[in-house]
Amino acid sequence: MSIVAHLPRRVLSLTEEEAANPPAMELTGRRKATGPEHELAETIFAEFRQDPRHHEFVLGCLNCGECTTGCPAARFYDFSPREMLQIAATGDATTLWDAMQEKIWACCQCYTCNMRCRFGNDIAGIISVMRELSVVHGLESTRKTLAPFGRSLTLLMTVGTQVSSDMIQPDFFRDWGPFATGSDKVWDVSSDVMRKAIPSDVLQTTRSSWEVSVQTSLELFRIYEETGVLDMLRGLDPDLTEMLIDIIEERREEFQDARGRFAKEIAAMRGPVASFTG
Amino acid sequence: MNPILVLGGGPAGLSAASELAALGAPTLLVERESYLGGNPVRWHYSLLAPDLRPAEEVIGALLERVEGDARIERRLSTTLTKAELGSHGYRVTLATADASETRDVAAVVLATGFDHFDSRRKFEYGYGRFPDVVDFKELEGMLHDNKLVRPSDGQRPHRIAWVLCVGSRDLQVGNPWCCRLGCVVSIKQAVEVRQKHPEVDAYIYYMDIRTYGLWEDLYWKSMQEYGIKFIRGRIGAVTLAEGGSRLLATGEDTILSRPTEVPFDMIVLASGMEASAGTKQVAELFGVPVGPEGFLTPRLTDLNPVDSGLPGVFLAGAATGPKAIPDAVTEGMGAALRAYQYARD
Repeated sequence: MSIVAHLPRRVLSLTEEEAANPPAMELTGRRKATGPEHELAETIFAEFRQDPRHHEFVLGCLNCGECTTGCPAARFYDFSPREMLQIAATGDATTLWDAMQEKIWACCQCYTCNMRCRFGNDIAGIISVMRELSVVHGLESTRKTLAPFGRSLTLLMTVGTQVSSDMIQPDFFRDWGPFATGSDKVWDVSSDVMRKAIPSDVLQTTRSSWEVSVQTSLELFRIYEETGVLDMLRGLDPDLTEMLIDIIEERREEFQDARGRFAKEIAAMRGPVASFTG
Repeated sequence: MNPILVLGGGPAGLSAASELAALGAPTLLVERESYLGGNPVRWHYSLLAPDLRPAEEVIGALLERVEGDARIERRLSTTLTKAELGSHGYRVTLATADASETRDVAAVVLATGFDHFDSRRKFEYGYGRFPDVVDFKELEGMLHDNKLVRPSDGQRPHRIAWVLCVGSRDLQVGNPWCCRLGCVVSIKQAVEVRQKHPEVDAYIYYMDIRTYGLWEDLYWKSMQEYGIKFIRGRIGAVTLAEGGSRLLATGEDTILSRPTEVPFDMIVLASGMEASAGTKQVAELFGVPVGPEGFLTPRLTDLNPVDSGLPGVFLAGAATGPKAIPDAVTEGMGAALRAYQYARD
């Protein structure tokens, strides 16, 4: 090792004191968040990496950027699906924590990135896992980000939109979107009339489908209860969750009353359907 | 027929010698080291990329062919000190530590190979100063012996970094070429480490990944199946951290545009390939043209990559540039054929 003895000795970037007590550092060299926030970041990171979907969604990355090229969110925000995937693949607790504060919410979940990815990664999917974790752990930033959507969420969870995808076709919504005619009139009839003529596999038109079945709403809500969606929401916004439950409880009672009345009326008919019990 | 001289007992030389013998030509195989097999044997290569087949199996098969053939005269611990062109080939002087002799040979195959870049020349990585900074040829030996431990304390490392292009693609050390093998061998090593010790975290620092051709498959699998992490950017400096018990790698993650400063238990340097001392020596002895990179230059790199352009002198293997074992073996065959044709005519 005689060559080595003559090599100039490098000045270490850490002082001896710093080397003895190294700064809390992430793998990527970032300063670790400190305090309870850091503990939460570590917990979330561990849950994220252990989630079976992580292994399934994050395969590898060549950093080609095709995902970001097609990403509508990337056109308007400081957001890149490639960066999200990189963070998912090689990131650390602090990086993941930072990305979960704001960036993950820029994604429109259109899955264009997945379609373009030459490695077959599920990028939109791993972003939705990050979102889920941010809701489960009730992050303050998530609460703030989602606050304006409380009304939409209330409607979605208590009523629901029961529209099948084949009903949304440009021809029937010419007054919508970037190429809107600006007029309600399409082909000399109002677009409302057009929509009512939408053919669909479920034989629904806008008239009947826009009218939501109470029973379906209640069934959906039962699914939210049983699958833990409500518990997840409770962590983020307990007040909203209680309100949703109140609304649904009221609707359940109304539904039971209506069903009771209906059963009585049927019974009074003494007809062949008298045995109907709902 | 005078024997055909094959200089160098690595994969290319072994291949050339066994092919010459198969053609029926008397063959004189000269190797400066005391053993045959070249760098793979010298450094105890473990598995070979991309098929992850033990090097011993591959080199062993070549050795068996050569050692089992009476038509091949083997001279170990022997160097060439003189070469003169005669009317039918060359008159060469062979020297051992205590003797020398003159032989007439009908043709010459130069398979003098490469040397691994001396990583101490990139002093910012601390190779030779920090015991846990190792060269990837040394890691081959560790993997071969199934002893993956930190040289400093004999403990199993938890987190290992591979640094690609050490002494390659670097004008500071005068080596602007690509070594072709650093990527695939490092990825292979990381895969091998993760296969044997799944608890070890593996990071590869790269500027480009050049797992060309069908080797790309190993690169993809290394991410998808072995969870190896790729960071684009060079480690610019290695210092000590955590009271000197770990190595601190400083650099930039150029994909995520942020500085990185990561503690590692072990850092592996993918050192490049240079023309070996023997290659430089035979270039002078025979007057074979040498390119700016120091490797022997064939007369026509495209049409006849094994002809030197000099009468009776043929080239094979990493003496003409960085090369994988299969390519070296193929060139050994080509050079053997050309040398045989020359000697016969």
